[in-house]
Amino acid sequence: MNGFRKEFSTLTLVLIPVAIAINVAIGQLAITLKLPLYLDSIGTILVGVLVGPWAGAITGFLANVVWTLSGLFPQAIAWAGVAAIIGALAGAFGRAGWVNSWSRAALAGIITGFVAAILSAPIAAYVFGGVTGTGTDAVVAMFRSAGLDALGANLGQGAVSEPLDKAISFVVVWAVMLALPLRFKNRFGNVEE
Amino acid sequence: MITLKHFGYRYPNTEAWALRKISLEIPDGQFVGVVGANGAGKSTLCYALSGFAPHFYRGKTEGRLHLNEVDVLESSLGDLAGEVGLVFQNPFNQISGARYSVREEIAFGLENLGLPPSEIETRVSQVLAQSDLSELAERSPFALSGGQQQRVAIAAIMAMQPSVLVLDEPTSQLDPHGTREVFANLDALTQERAATVVLASHKLEWLAAFCDRVLVLHQGRLVADGEPAQVLADEVLLDYGIGGTRYTLAARAAQQGGLVSAQRALPVTLDQAREFFR
Amino acid sequence: MQSSSLYIERNSGLHALHPLTKLALLGLCLVLAFALPDIRWLLAAFGLLLLPLAAWGRILAPFARSGFSIILPFVISLALIQGFFAGGDTALLTLGRFAFTWEGLLAGLTVSARLLVALGGTLLLMLSTRPDHLMLALTERGLPQALGYIVLTALQIFPRFQDRARVILEAQQARGLETQVNLLRRLRLLVPLIGPLILASIVDVEERAMALEARAFSRPGQKTSLISLHDSGFQVLLRTGLLLAALALIVWRLLPLVRA
Repeated sequence: MNGFRKEFSTLTLVLIPVAIAINVAIGQLAITLKLPLYLDSIGTILVGVLVGPWAGAITGFLANVVWTLSGLFPQAIAWAGVAAIIGALAGAFGRAGWVNSWSRAALAGIITGFVAAILSAPIAAYVFGGVTGTGTDAVVAMFRSAGLDALGANLGQGAVSEPLDKAISFVVVWAVMLALPLRFKNRFGNVEE
Repeated sequence: MITLKHFGYRYPNTEAWALRKISLEIPDGQFVGVVGANGAGKSTLCYALSGFAPHFYRGKTEGRLHLNEVDVLESSLGDLAGEVGLVFQNPFNQISGARYSVREEIAFGLENLGLPPSEIETRVSQVLAQSDLSELAERSPFALSGGQQQRVAIAAIMAMQPSVLVLDEPTSQLDPHGTREVFANLDALTQERAATVVLASHKLEWLAAFCDRVLVLHQGRLVADGEPAQVLADEVLLDYGIGGTRYTLAARAAQQGGLVSAQRALPVTLDQAREFFR
Repeated sequence: MQSSSLYIERNSGLHALHPLTKLALLGLCLVLAFALPDIRWLLAAFGLLLLPLAAWGRILAPFARSGFSIILPFVISLALIQGFFAGGDTALLTLGRFAFTWEGLLAGLTVSARLLVALGGTLLLMLSTRPDHLMLALTERGLPQALGYIVLTALQIFPRFQDRARVILEAQQARGLETQVNLLRRLRLLVPLIGPLILASIVDVEERAMALEARAFSRPGQKTSLISLHDSGFQVLLRTGLLLAALALIVWRLLPLVRA
């Protein structure tokens, strides 16, 4: 609990809603631009890397609560736990120094993406009957037609989309961290420089 | 009473002191203006008086800073929040975000102070009326213009009834009408509740019209301190990059051009200018 | 620029209910959605419980509109995917080696109906409850105040961020970002757009934190609230009843499994 307390200064509390707003704004941007990516967890990953695993987890969880409450994507709440784990992983990778170079950041993203895929698939398979109600359902259908069951097809879909999405998100966060003033980064202290 | 003794402050990771060796006393109920060029230390002085330097920014201090009996350097921001209020320049950043109407936004600080709801109700209604915000009370703070948001931000701090109110460029988003209203409200505060107001601004004419006293900062030092009529009319303000009120500048030009006797004291307000040029 | 939530202001009995009562109702709906055995029961629950409640709340039109637009993609995905891949003997249509079956379609529609009941309960809560009242109700029951602050602030500021993103996008559209087919190039164009968006908002964070501190946000001790939520003995009873009903449903569904 000590680490938890340390991460939650007023500054962190203010940072988290801003990060959630970044998730939503860039996620919607990706949709508008018809990118085959979600890009809806950049804020979550940023908080994880900058502040730490606890703050990252809370950001991920509450981001999905906000997606639901806003009415933009009501089913998001079902994946809130997965989003929390993405944030926590970002915190751990940040603390381990993986986000100090773009290549390791990308690797951290790929690993996080696979974890996210594995955790998300059972939710889609068992809560939502094997779909997510989004465009990626076409990919799920493809895997089903190849003979996979609901869980397998959703795993397959996740394994295709998530690692690339999270790798790009981590690299964006790496770039943002480079651009942030040292004075600001020092206020949080998850990353040793 | 605010007391600074050889007070200095340095931001973290910097070599230069942002404020150095500042000694002054501000009695209760005084309306004090702070002027200085950009980077002279106006904002830092505001942050120091309200405890944010060092309690938020960290960094190093020297000397002493007391608010009545309270040692500001030894207090926490939570303790100081009811005692000293701070208002900034950017209105959007001052809207808490957690409240859905102007009325509730103003109540937010009072809720955090733990005041009973009936008292919150009374204070909010008072401040709304005083700040001419009553007709906006039920609007979302995010649906307001920048100027309106700024008036809400000031009202929200006023409602907390701090004994010291520190404002850093609070009127840069406001038109002359809004600026006059803010200055008049602050003036009333100093007279009715003996609150101390410290206001940093570039708007010298307004400071001249309302302040009891003006502090001049230059490179982190307190270089002048006195009544607006003396301090703001001083030619040395040009060297500090501060300039002067438009009345002072015009009057000085008139004197130098030989239109007016060089014996006369330079004006800093409209009334004085009228007298000067008569 | 207003707060982004589904809430619609109306003068209705549903609106006047304490948020926790509506939350208990949502709880019951979620249990109904996954405990009711087949599609007839599910549609009955929707038609006989949720629709009348929406009508009582004077939010029938927005309830139907939001419900329809959210559930439609699920119905399409589920009907197609289950219809083709869930198996069954009654082929309605054959496409090469894949048969679209009646059993599969029914399975897809059943899942859709489950989601509809769950969604309906969520919409009833969200359309008739101000997010700040919901958070206040939860904070009064022990949810950390900080979490309420985060959710409410995020809901209020993200439309502003979307506006910023939109402005940046419009400025860039002349450069052919949307028409650019190559994904890598589109990405390379995107990064310089979102970088400044993120940095600008992060820099604001310090001042926002100071403004909160100035409002005694981190002052230790009891906090109070200007708004008070209306509750009643009847509603406490109602909440207990709703939760007991949900519990009974779970037991009723699990009992055969335990016996077997």
